[in-house]
Amino acid sequence: MGTRKTAITRRDFLRAGTCVTLGSLVGLPLAESTHADRTKKSRVVLVRDKHVLDGKEQIHPITLGRMLDRAVTALLDASDPSSAWTRLVKPDDIVGIKTNVWPYLPTPEPLNTLIRERLIEAGVKGGNVSADDREVLRNPVFQRSTALVNVRPMRTHHWSGLGTLIKNYIMFVSHPSRYHDNACGGLGAIWHLPHVKGKTRLNILVMITPLFHGMGPHHFSRAHTWPYCGLIVSEDPVAADATGARIIQAKRDAFFGGENPINPPPRHIDAADTRFGLGTSRLERIELIRLGWTEDILL
Amino acid sequence: MLGIDSAGELVKKVLFVLLIFLAAGSFPLLMTRKSFADSLEILAASLLRQTGAWTAHDPDSTYDGETIFDYIDGAGEVYRAYNMRECLSRRYTATGLPTIVLDIFDMGSSEDAFGVFTHDRDGKTVDVGQEGLYRQGWLSFWKGRFFVSIYMERETVDAKEAAYHLARAVDSLIGDEGPKPPILRKLPPEGLQDRSVRYLHHPLLLNYHYYLSDENILNLGKETDALLASYSRGGKRARFLLVHYPSPERARGAHEKFLASYLPEGGTGGAVLLENGKWSASLRKGRLLAVVLEADSRLLAESLLREVKAVP
Repeated sequence: MGTRKTAITRRDFLRAGTCVTLGSLVGLPLAESTHADRTKKSRVVLVRDKHVLDGKEQIHPITLGRMLDRAVTALLDASDPSSAWTRLVKPDDIVGIKTNVWPYLPTPEPLNTLIRERLIEAGVKGGNVSADDREVLRNPVFQRSTALVNVRPMRTHHWSGLGTLIKNYIMFVSHPSRYHDNACGGLGAIWHLPHVKGKTRLNILVMITPLFHGMGPHHFSRAHTWPYCGLIVSEDPVAADATGARIIQAKRDAFFGGENPINPPPRHIDAADTRFGLGTSRLERIELIRLGWTEDILL
Repeated sequence: MLGIDSAGELVKKVLFVLLIFLAAGSFPLLMTRKSFADSLEILAASLLRQTGAWTAHDPDSTYDGETIFDYIDGAGEVYRAYNMRECLSRRYTATGLPTIVLDIFDMGSSEDAFGVFTHDRDGKTVDVGQEGLYRQGWLSFWKGRFFVSIYMERETVDAKEAAYHLARAVDSLIGDEGPKPPILRKLPPEGLQDRSVRYLHHPLLLNYHYYLSDENILNLGKETDALLASYSRGGKRARFLLVHYPSPERARGAHEKFLASYLPEGGTGGAVLLENGKWSASLRKGRLLAVVLEADSRLLAESLLREVKAVP
């Protein structure tokens, strides 16, 4: 036919075998080098407390604050939460809290408030902290930001398979829909944009009532959320997402009775590792610390 | 004084005049009913404001192909990929009860209303619209050029009953049914899994259902109609794709690109053994391109293509 083959196809995936995920394969021919330190494990803290929700599934802020403090302290091997936060930010930092306002499952407002309080306790000026989602490109604090805290609930997602920490930065571009191709495999590129790169100090994946299956135009069903009552905290967004993805997958398999792969497969998590060097998605390179409630932990 | 006969005549005349008035009065109603299917605005004006304990929460919202992302986040891409013209959204609320969300999408054609319906075919079949489905907390159907979604924020017995009531009311307001895409008639019927059929135009949607390539190696687009379907014959299974192009030249170009990118061994027209032990093959016939993406046996792959060739 004379046409040089440049497309990555399903057959490339088949040739590579099942050991290599499609997400990592998608990155093979591209020039981006990976920057993650391949010898170092990424620490991920999973903290759970079943009392974080009351009988009406409302969040109990004091319990949530305790969970956050335990997780951040363990993550940084700090002696107490206060010293942990002072290692994350400096008083002259300008901090954007990248939250998520999706109406069916937003970042819990008490968590935004707690993060803000912890940042201010660590010395950051109140006027230099702002939580935002849709308006981050126009928010003056985000425009001047020197640091970001990334916080969002995990959920299944129509195009990317999962709504993840990596995906949460999609509002840092003016045309998010341009990242929908290939199950949003290129999302990791956003983290290399000049107004984002290197600023993220902490990633918090909210697993309090995650969504493990979506349906309909709004891709939401209350019947497919469950009270997992957890937070996943890490400096490595890819490792945190990969850990959350394992929990969602396990829940799907248990709920539907047998293998029920996340559809579409969340390739962007692997691609964020192999293509964009944002962290590690490989289980063997993740140091998982479990804290708190262990019942039905799914890991 | 009027006699009995003349009084009878008068009653007849009054009845006649009344009939004329009634007929004249109902004429605009008939006109309105006919026009329901032509405008979301008119449809909105006739929609129920009450269903069970739920009352419409004013105002309605409308979205076009650009603003739909403000409403349904990334999934708006699905509706855009089916040429969505407008979406009307109405929320029904009741104190202490889960909100019911009605979304009516004007897809511009019955073919695309059917297409967007086929994007998600899980659920129990229900007798609403041209085809309807119910899953836990979500009822959807298509009719004419409209796709209708009724979503309960939490499923309860009463909410489900109210959703069905609302669905039937919308169904009757839409009025006329519409045809399905003609390309459906080109699918070989034997062993076709009806629920597996997806009608689409956009490569993004093909990749959603069956990842083929990171590039548009079949030159799919707004002007192409594609069907993705599963077959089962004698315990053997196959995934099959049929694409209709605007011209034989466009079909030929797409076939060449597909062979070069995906199936270089298939240039001579024979079935190719893929790396996963399945068989793949392709065939162009005029403006149609048929691709057996994967089949359990060579025989099944070749049979499907032979049958496409035989369809007039």
